[in-house]
Amino acid sequence: MSDPINVRTLPPGTRIVTADGAVAEIVSNPADGVWLFARYVESPSDPALVGQEDMIFAQDVVEVRPT
Amino acid sequence: MATAHVGGYRPGLVDLKTGQISREIFVNEDIYAEEQERVFARAWLYVGHESQVPNPGDFFVSGMGEESVILTRDRAGQVRVFLNSCRHRGMKVCRYDEGNTTVFTCPYHGWSYGTDGRLVGVPYFREAYHSQLDRLQWGLVEVAQTCVHKGTVWATWDKDAPPFLEYLGDFARYLDQMFDSWDGSDGGTEILGGVQKWLVPSNWKFPAENFSGDSYHNISHRSVDMVGAGPSGSGRRDMPELNLARKLHIAIPDRGHQTTAYLLPREVEVPAGYQHSPVVSDYFKKCEEARRQQRGDWGRLITLVGEVFPSMAFLARQPRTIAVWHPRGPHQTEVWRWFLVDKNAPQDVKNFLRDYYIRYSGPAGMTEQDDMENWGYAHKASRGTIARRYSYSYEQGMGTEVDNYEWEGFSLPGSVTDLTQAKSSEHNLRNLYRRWAEFMEASDWDELASWRRAQRAAAE
Amino acid sequence: MSDRDDRFVEMLLTHEIAQFLYREAELLDERRYEAWLALLSDDIRYWMPMRRNVKFGEESREFTREITDINWFDEGKETLTRRVRQIETGIHWAEEPVSRIAHLVTNVQLIEAMPSAAEAREVSVKCRFLIYRNRVETETDILVGKREDLLRRDGDDWKIARRKIILDQNVLLSKNLTFFF
Ligand code: FES
Ligand SMILES: [Fe+2]
Repeated sequence: MSDPINVRTLPPGTRIVTADGAVAEIVSNPADGVWLFARYVESPSDPALVGQEDMIFAQDVVEVRPT
Repeated sequence: MATAHVGGYRPGLVDLKTGQISREIFVNEDIYAEEQERVFARAWLYVGHESQVPNPGDFFVSGMGEESVILTRDRAGQVRVFLNSCRHRGMKVCRYDEGNTTVFTCPYHGWSYGTDGRLVGVPYFREAYHSQLDRLQWGLVEVAQTCVHKGTVWATWDKDAPPFLEYLGDFARYLDQMFDSWDGSDGGTEILGGVQKWLVPSNWKFPAENFSGDSYHNISHRSVDMVGAGPSGSGRRDMPELNLARKLHIAIPDRGHQTTAYLLPREVEVPAGYQHSPVVSDYFKKCEEARRQQRGDWGRLITLVGEVFPSMAFLARQPRTIAVWHPRGPHQTEVWRWFLVDKNAPQDVKNFLRDYYIRYSGPAGMTEQDDMENWGYAHKASRGTIARRYSYSYEQGMGTEVDNYEWEGFSLPGSVTDLTQAKSSEHNLRNLYRRWAEFMEASDWDELASWRRAQRAAAE
Repeated sequence: MSDRDDRFVEMLLTHEIAQFLYREAELLDERRYEAWLALLSDDIRYWMPMRRNVKFGEESREFTREITDINWFDEGKETLTRRVRQIETGIHWAEEPVSRIAHLVTNVQLIEAMPSAAEAREVSVKCRFLIYRNRVETETDILVGKREDLLRRDGDDWKIARRKIILDQNVLLSKNLTFFF
């Protein structure tokens, strides 16, 4: 497991990578450290998700892409 | 009247024929548990002020009875009240006193709720719940009814409770003075920042009956009357119109609300109060005149201290405050205090009043400190097995109240006792406990809304 | 002056200030209110805000504001004097019979001396307090927090010109605040 990422302070526009390899861009951050509202930009395991907005759980975030 | 303190509530503990009330209703743990169910879960309760949540996403954590609730304005702009407890395992969802948010996220396992209460985030919804959890069923528990009345927010857990204005009945006219500005403009008040919260070691009904109109306990405030709450007021907390006005106890029997009030004479001009502060004195004088013009006879009425059944108290005069008695077990009460000023008052007036409020009310209030001492030790000294056998006396002024009270051609709704000569009465206190006993005995709101039965009977 | 001298002067001043604060506490605990009032400057501001639970990062909203908001205390010498007079009536029931009170003042830190430590006319000083109040039989309150004082030189002594009291509580756990911080 990777080091836990504190998602609380990630600004909108940040790209994150999820556990199943998808990449999503933060739309808004409720700053609760648990959830992010993000839009999928890449989703190899389920291409239908691309373009969709979803709530992403902090434990599913494995990487923050440098901007 | 000897009453063994086994078992909970039973008829007769509140005996208004003899004017005696058993100490059991204050100290008995079973009765306490029952009243949470029968009183607090059925009545309308004060939750907060709309100005505390002006924007979508704003929230203020309040309380209803023993429970923590979230007062919030949802994305659509609507005022909502939710139980502050996660549906998954009960964690307190919001532990901030106030703020703005898009979601209320539970710190325990991460369930997350929108400001409309809907469950929007469930960790591992697809994986762990196999997308099977019916999220619509698991939103935050919402109160059954909410009402915003002149900026104040009220709620009830009982869907069968009558609408809030019907719950107030004739009392609404008297309560107006609390929320309208002093010149009589509708709802022209605002809340000062900061809600006082503190613990008092007595049953919640001690403060409730005190604010219902215990006009007998002035003696306990003699020390502050001697030194003055200052800085520029003279010694007495009373205002000069006391000498000219009728002093009244006004109770709404079928609703359980009550207040004390001054009714000013029609012709006599009232000497200005706050003489030591010309700005303030001036402001009140102007407002007083405007109110009389606008409200006619009702402008002559000055509501003082009162109580909306069961646990919201107010002082409509200065210090203008709202107090809520949150029960914390039979032997403890958490008091919450909001302070109001006229929105359009000059800043100097607001500052003057704010200073006065703090010195009068609350834990540092030179007046209320003595009240809390009395409630606390009265409660403590009533807990013993022997003490409980002896009822309290509420006989003062029994039978002196009148319906259709009239003075100088102005008649007032409600059941009224004129204290001008009598000085004091326990009429309002009896009214509180009459209603309390009705709540303890009635099986549902059909029974509690006795006025509806009367109206139905009259229609037939 | 050498660096060493500067530090010595500052140490003496800190010691003097701490002694002043202990002496003040002594007056309160011995209920010598007249002498205590004499230590307050005529323009003293005595302020104790209330505290909210706020999100990390929103600390600016943690305290109620002086002058604009409701606070636990926000007043001056005249009304502090009235509070003393009220206790002295002997019928202020919240303090009758009088409470047993002990002020523990500690962590005294000299924050600033104006214009200098050597010729200090005003000093700002921080400390911690623990106030123990016991009354009637078993009723006991313990209030812990911080104080930020501004002291002003007054002849050989000091006067308290400003006191900010930061109580480390949200819901006040005491039924009243009939005593001084
Ligand atoms: S208790 Fe809230 S998510 Fe489990
Ligand atoms: Fe009182």
